Amino acid sequence: MAERIVRFIEGGDRFVLGQISVAGRGMGMGAGFTAGGLLPAAAIEAIRKVDGVSVVQPQVMLPLNPSTSQFMTLTQELVLGMDLSVPSPNRHYRMLPVQDGRFLRQGDRRKAVVGASFATSRGLRPGSRLELEGQPYEVVGVLERMLTAPDRFVIVSIEDARDQWVSKDRLLRTVLASGGVALRAQDLNTGAAVGWRETDDPDVVARRIRERVAGVNVQLPSELSSLLRQSTAFFSALLVGLGLLAFVIGGLSLANTVAAAVFERIRDFGVKRALGATDWQLGREILGEALAVTLSGGAVGVVLALALGLGIDGWARRSGQQLFLFSPRLLGGALVFSLLLGAAAAAYAAVRIVRLSPAEAIRRGSAA
Amino acid sequence: MPPELVLTARGLVKRFPAPAGPPIEVLAGVDLAVRRGELVVIEGPSGSGKSTLLNVLGLLEDADAGEICFGEHCVSALGRVAKGRERGRWLGFVFQSFLLLPTLTALDNVLLGARYTTGVDAERRRRAMELLERFGVAERRDHHPAQLSGGEQQRVAFCRAVLNDPPLLLADEPTGNLDDVNGGVILESLRDRARAGGAVIVVSHRPDAALGADTVFTLSGGSLRAR
Repeated sequence: MAERIVRFIEGGDRFVLGQISVAGRGMGMGAGFTAGGLLPAAAIEAIRKVDGVSVVQPQVMLPLNPSTSQFMTLTQELVLGMDLSVPSPNRHYRMLPVQDGRFLRQGDRRKAVVGASFATSRGLRPGSRLELEGQPYEVVGVLERMLTAPDRFVIVSIEDARDQWVSKDRLLRTVLASGGVALRAQDLNTGAAVGWRETDDPDVVARRIRERVAGVNVQLPSELSSLLRQSTAFFSALLVGLGLLAFVIGGLSLANTVAAAVFERIRDFGVKRALGATDWQLGREILGEALAVTLSGGAVGVVLALALGLGIDGWARRSGQQLFLFSPRLLGGALVFSLLLGAAAAAYAAVRIVRLSPAEAIRRGSAA
Repeated sequence: MPPELVLTARGLVKRFPAPAGPPIEVLAGVDLAVRRGELVVIEGPSGSGKSTLLNVLGLLEDADAGEICFGEHCVSALGRVAKGRERGRWLGFVFQSFLLLPTLTALDNVLLGARYTTGVDAERRRRAMELLERFGVAERRDHHPAQLSGGEQQRVAFCRAVLNDPPLLLADEPTGNLDDVNGGVILESLRDRARAGGAVIVVSHRPDAALGADTVFTLSGGSLRAR
């Protein structure tokens, strides 16, 4: 589970470090990394002119279900509207990976690409119908499972997202209806993803936007990365701590079993030394046995953990969740950890045994 | 010219810490020389230090003082690993409680010493089978110690002790857990070993153990006295 959280943070980190995220100053409907106020077309045009900026993609990011309970979740379901006439500025995600179907194309209307968890929880696949703010959408693609925020995204064209925004936000509807504010459709953006030229430093470009464009919140990629890590630091530390605790407790019981198995046969080792076995021969023998025991114990533990984790995930998948991630580094690490502990326990037991005289080992073993 | 010396022990001292007061001196300067073909029997009351003496002579336990030489080669000052090698080269042990490894078959128990010293090859296997045959336990070669009687276990242990043909055989109460018939078989085997040119030291309570011995010592007060 800790590995799953770590992957979540890594994925988010990779995303936010790939672009400069800009939102309108103040408060509004914008969610996720575009949280803030309105970002009008004039501001987007001003950003485009800042030295070092290569591309600006207007975006609308909204909560799918703007209820308190949804805001409280760590992995909120979001609607992301993208201006498809502009290439993705994100260096790490030029194109979000599609598992099934296709990504959106310029000119697509009432079409949606959905994240893997979102699709699983609702049984969606390419060709499925989806209703958003009372409007029917056709699902044209399902993203690969990324174990991070986009798993719970519904991605639509920015025009469709603007329609949903107006539909969701009563205040915005009232303002537009009053005609008191001169707003065009292209002014309805909650944020923008900004790319930088190859030769520029993203943090420097972000600071330049902050200085030269009024009324915007600019997140430095490095700042956003740090904020993301801070916001998940507690859960991450808790789960990593619990994982380590389980590792240590399990590992120590394994080490104790190995050491006890050796000490149980202390008399036999005394006899072997009486018959001419050297320290090295006994050490090799004890280490070999310990490694065989710990490797098989570790493998059984990994298989049990896989079975239990996959079983629980199978159940959680019905609600679009994935709780566990059994990465090769985690499984390999668990096996290497158990082998190292077994080897350390065997080395400890071997040293204790060869330090005894053979007569003492036989005496102790016979008395036990 | 007398046969060559296999073992020379000079001034062996061994003390054990006491719960209170000064250490208990179990061996107080023991001298002993054993030659090829000689059967030496050491007697003495319980607690007199017979087993301790055998352990010290067999390098199973270090003496606090004194010197032990096998042939011309003095071993007391050697390190742990080197002493282990010398044990494998010079000594065979027969213990009162047999000390067979419970997870090994009779044949594998006989081959155990060879596994750590000469290695187990076809010749060793043939010799191990020959010994089991000679001691009437060949048909029990695939049995584990728990499936053998006490007499059979001690015969297997004897085969293990002599497989590498060690110059010196040390037997600590080898008949202590056996009935008269099986005890007699083992004692006769020890005498045969000496007659065949091996040096043998036996610690025993049995009065008949001394029969046929070249020298009988009594260990008392930490010293050996010839009877």
